[in-house]
Amino acid sequence: MNREYPIKIYKKPNLGKASLVLGWREDIGNLGRKATDYLNRKLKGREFAGIEPELFFSLGGVAIENNLAQFPESKFYACQEHELVIFQSDFPRSEWHKFLNSVLDVAEHHCQVKELYILGAMVSLSAHTVPRQLLAVVNSAEMKEILSRYDLAMNLDYQTSPSERPTLSSFLSWVAKERNIPGVSLWVPIPFYLTTMGDAQAQKKVLSFLNERLDLKIDFSDLNQAIQEQNEKLDLARSRFAQIDDYINRLESNLMLSEEENGELIKKIEDCLREGD
Amino acid sequence: MGIRLYKEPQLENPILAASWPGIGNIGIIAVDTLRGILEAEEFGEIEPWDFFYPKRVLISKGVLEHLEFPSSKFYFKRTAGKDVIFFVGEEQPTEAGRMYAEGKKAYYMANLVLDVAEKFKCCRIYTSGAAVALTHHTTKPRVWAVPNSESLISEIRGYGNTVLMSDIEGRGGEGNITGLNGLLLGVAKKRGFEAICLMGEIPVYLQGLPMSYPKASKSVLEVLTHSLSIDVNLDKLDELAEKTERRIEEFYRQIPLEIRGQLDRLKHVAYAQPAEPGPITEEEKKRIMEDVEKFFKKRGGGG
Repeated sequence: MNREYPIKIYKKPNLGKASLVLGWREDIGNLGRKATDYLNRKLKGREFAGIEPELFFSLGGVAIENNLAQFPESKFYACQEHELVIFQSDFPRSEWHKFLNSVLDVAEHHCQVKELYILGAMVSLSAHTVPRQLLAVVNSAEMKEILSRYDLAMNLDYQTSPSERPTLSSFLSWVAKERNIPGVSLWVPIPFYLTTMGDAQAQKKVLSFLNERLDLKIDFSDLNQAIQEQNEKLDLARSRFAQIDDYINRLESNLMLSEEENGELIKKIEDCLREGD
Repeated sequence: MGIRLYKEPQLENPILAASWPGIGNIGIIAVDTLRGILEAEEFGEIEPWDFFYPKRVLISKGVLEHLEFPSSKFYFKRTAGKDVIFFVGEEQPTEAGRMYAEGKKAYYMANLVLDVAEKFKCCRIYTSGAAVALTHHTTKPRVWAVPNSESLISEIRGYGNTVLMSDIEGRGGEGNITGLNGLLLGVAKKRGFEAICLMGEIPVYLQGLPMSYPKASKSVLEVLTHSLSIDVNLDKLDELAEKTERRIEEFYRQIPLEIRGQLDRLKHVAYAQPAEPGPITEEEKKRIMEDVEKFFKKRGGGG
């Protein structure tokens, strides 16, 4: 492997003016992985390239999840007829700048990508009955202008606090800005008690935006079904456990729960959602 | 990835004083304080992207305006004594959750700093850090000096309040300096620069606390400015040291009486003349260390 150029192209796609949609595999509620999996499934994405893990991940063994050995993955998929490139990856553990530039090298030099869409989720303290809002942070005024006609919350003011670090999505957005690639980080809030099991409604929110913006013509009937099932399970949990109903009622009235109550709500909801699986 | 110089000042055989954060931030406070007092001018930096993860993002009205990385900057000052180049690294380029820099990146950064030293024909490199010692916070910290060349030993012996490793009981002239404050000394040796690392003493029971120890920085600066023949007013550092002292006293009062009694005895440790019997025996020192370690383990890592 060429250590300085860790990209492997299996088959160069034929793209003219593509958009890159990127999702991280270990995102909150697995939103990045689930949304990019969904796009790949619906749009018949074909894997065409990958980033070798050696420089970016600790390879001192393998992690085991759900009984299976895992290995870091960073893969590119092309949906040629939609002029779309999808990138799904684990978070790199080192050499972030080189990793992010490798992603954009593939996008720019092999796929003629003109726009970047980074998917992300954040923890929300609101109830699941509150409509999901899609927050957007763009890397240029030009991109803000382009996206202004969509249903996006685009006026965030934010500065990292001293005890925190910027997200990798912000880092990528900045690297793209340095390379004059217009980009946007999309953030959808997921109620805190759905962050482990996932939130179909949050997926739909972000995918609907992409569908409209990139004219993907996706039929969401399966995702609508998943949302309906999720809501039914949550309704059932409320009717079975008065305490759960009380907690969610309080969240709906914008009241905070104690740490202990939060913990109880998370556990009960996760148990209920698992029951039907 | 490399060095970016905004200007190329004309300097006459300058010395280079470099530091990165470390225990008690002793070295970096010393170097950065002197840089501030002398109003040294920034003239370059090491590009951060491949060394560091960003530390701050600024988003304004939904637009990502700025991403800030830890800085690694060069400054210069022409003085009546010696011309000086300062290098101040805001973070050490650590890898895989380690506390201090080591390995490929650390070596590369040390070489970049020395590339600048070579370009400006620096005649001497100083680095600075902390020496964890069995001392008490009410006593004046001494400076442990480690040169990278035999020829510097006699010069160091002439410095006030300074000891060589061989002067410290039980060390036999040996030890190690972790992170870039130490590595730079070694890389300088490899590249033929003479260099000295000045380490201010920090009491063993303060090493894990999330606070700086400017009292030791002052000791380092006294040695450094003497060596550079620069006369500076260190009142600001005294003010900072006084403030820190109050926080240390608060912490000290929380230590159980039994252990505090042991630590109080460190006020009387005499190192300066190791041949003389000190008021505390080696065995007693060992016991104090064990007690201190036990106490901090109980507190969950000493912080």
